[in-house]
Amino acid sequence: MSSASRPGADLAETPEVWLREHPELASRLVFRHAAARFAELDPRIVFLEADLGGGADPFESRHPGRYFNLGICEATLVDVACGMARVGHVVIAHSFAPFGVMRACEQVRLGMAYGRANVKLVCDYGGVAGAFFGPTHHAVEDLAILRAMPGMTVVSPMDGLETVQATRAMLQHDGPVYLRLGRNRVTRHDVPRGPFELGRAQCLREGEDVGLLAHGEVGVAVALESARLLEARGVSARVLNVHTLKPLDEAAVLETAERTRLLVTVEEHNVLGGLGGAVCETVGAVGLGRRVVRVGLQDRYDATAGSHESLLAGHGLEGAQVAERVLSALPRPRMAAVGPVTRRS
Amino acid sequence: MIPLSANASQLERRARRVRRLILRLAATPSGCHLGGSLSVVELLVVLLGEVMRVDPRAPLSPARDHLILSKGHAAAGMYAALAEFGFLDAEELVRRYNAEGSPYTGHVNAAVPGVEFATGSLGHGLGLGVGLTLGHQLKGEPNRTFVVCGDGEMGEGSNWEALQVAAHHRLSALTLVVDRNGGQNDGPTESILSQAALARRLEAFGFQTAEVDGHDLTALSAALRESGGERPRALVAHTQKGAGVPMLRGKGPHYAVFSPEHLRRALASVGEEAS
Repeated sequence: MSSASRPGADLAETPEVWLREHPELASRLVFRHAAARFAELDPRIVFLEADLGGGADPFESRHPGRYFNLGICEATLVDVACGMARVGHVVIAHSFAPFGVMRACEQVRLGMAYGRANVKLVCDYGGVAGAFFGPTHHAVEDLAILRAMPGMTVVSPMDGLETVQATRAMLQHDGPVYLRLGRNRVTRHDVPRGPFELGRAQCLREGEDVGLLAHGEVGVAVALESARLLEARGVSARVLNVHTLKPLDEAAVLETAERTRLLVTVEEHNVLGGLGGAVCETVGAVGLGRRVVRVGLQDRYDATAGSHESLLAGHGLEGAQVAERVLSALPRPRMAAVGPVTRRS
Repeated sequence: MIPLSANASQLERRARRVRRLILRLAATPSGCHLGGSLSVVELLVVLLGEVMRVDPRAPLSPARDHLILSKGHAAAGMYAALAEFGFLDAEELVRRYNAEGSPYTGHVNAAVPGVEFATGSLGHGLGLGVGLTLGHQLKGEPNRTFVVCGDGEMGEGSNWEALQVAAHHRLSALTLVVDRNGGQNDGPTESILSQAALARRLEAFGFQTAEVDGHDLTALSAALRESGGERPRALVAHTQKGAGVPMLRGKGPHYAVFSPEHLRRALASVGEEAS
């Protein structure tokens, strides 16, 4: 049993306690500790890096023989990962989201998705978390691209604990997985949550007026904040954490649509093709007539420097902004009908 | 091990049978990438028949050596060679090549026994082969990996990434063979994107490099058995796109759909299927 350099809780056994002992860690670093810990339990796990490990990686220091920094070559990183998986290794390949997904896109498509490789592509810098580094280091399109690849599992955890859970689940899952992380310190949510299961959304808060569907470090935090603000305004919000974008938990999405009067997706991703797209596809196919408001990155690149928070605010990704959009979009509760409902034109 | 000389005439017969089978695939309704399939015949026959540890009854045996035909458009050549060595049935291959519901797609399909990865989008095979070799090296296993690229394919930048990684990690169980047939989709490689200094570049990248006549069974056999010592090995195999089919005068078309008459003449020019 070992977790970090100092004695303490075991990340594998009591991740909640371990996380309390390491309050400073962003999810992308929590992931590295989790991978290092789970690799002690499964000798098949190897870790490939394309020179964005940042140094002092816990996996590298604890499993130096199973850690390879291949250099700055993301395309080869993914092909090598698929080759190693073919001979029985469980391979983690890490890069930043713009490079791991888009520089190596065809390797991901052919080797991982079509080849059904047991490779876990883990990318941080999802969305605009790279903020002042500029759009070269942002990824506003990654989820749309990977959702369209048959056979991919696409996961975007909301906080440190869910990152540990998702890391364990993806390593136990036989097949290609994309794990999308941010960059910065994130809120660790003190909400009741059931056991984590890939492809199974979690209701974090019950409500009847609006359904807020969210994923990831920013999306869920903004959704929960707007739900609290809405409550003060007399509007009750159901918050569904859709940590797995693919396979999508369609039953949970439809259940939320049926229990509420408005659906709002909240995510740090282009409003095209991510969770917003997935929810529209799902709800539209059933024909519930439920409106879907998509809160997310506004189909543009942010070419000026700024903090993560200011960039998000520029796209309407703040709790107060989302609450206002909900209030303006929420249909009035239907009055007890006396005879047929007539539509005004 | 079977003495080389005794085996050479048998390999020659096998090469002729593979060639005849490729010509028959060119006469199926949608044809095949003929030139680049014919140029790798001797290479595949020597690898599968003499150099590699493979077992058609257990194509996924953990003890197997690996063959990646990165130039996956030469699927007809790959499938024909696999049929010659008992991985698949030759008559079924001819009947179902490119046909509805068949695994025998026009670019190499991983669903076919003996195939490790789907290839044909160029510039992936070497990286995948580096991964196989690194994976075995990490487990202390001796399995060798052979990757066959086209010379035109060396235009893909991903190959040069993978070469660096292979050299850096001293993947001595990896052998890259470049099928230097001098042609690519739109014409002669030298007039499109020159690979004139290929062997010197591979050597400079850290590969133990040799050049070989890619249609000389004896020379290929010796060159492919040898490994690069502590370095990965690269062979530049000089070949011709229409090799072994005199009717094509060494100028095999990149792609061909043969009529029955074409096929009859081509088979006649290759010679009988002597046993």
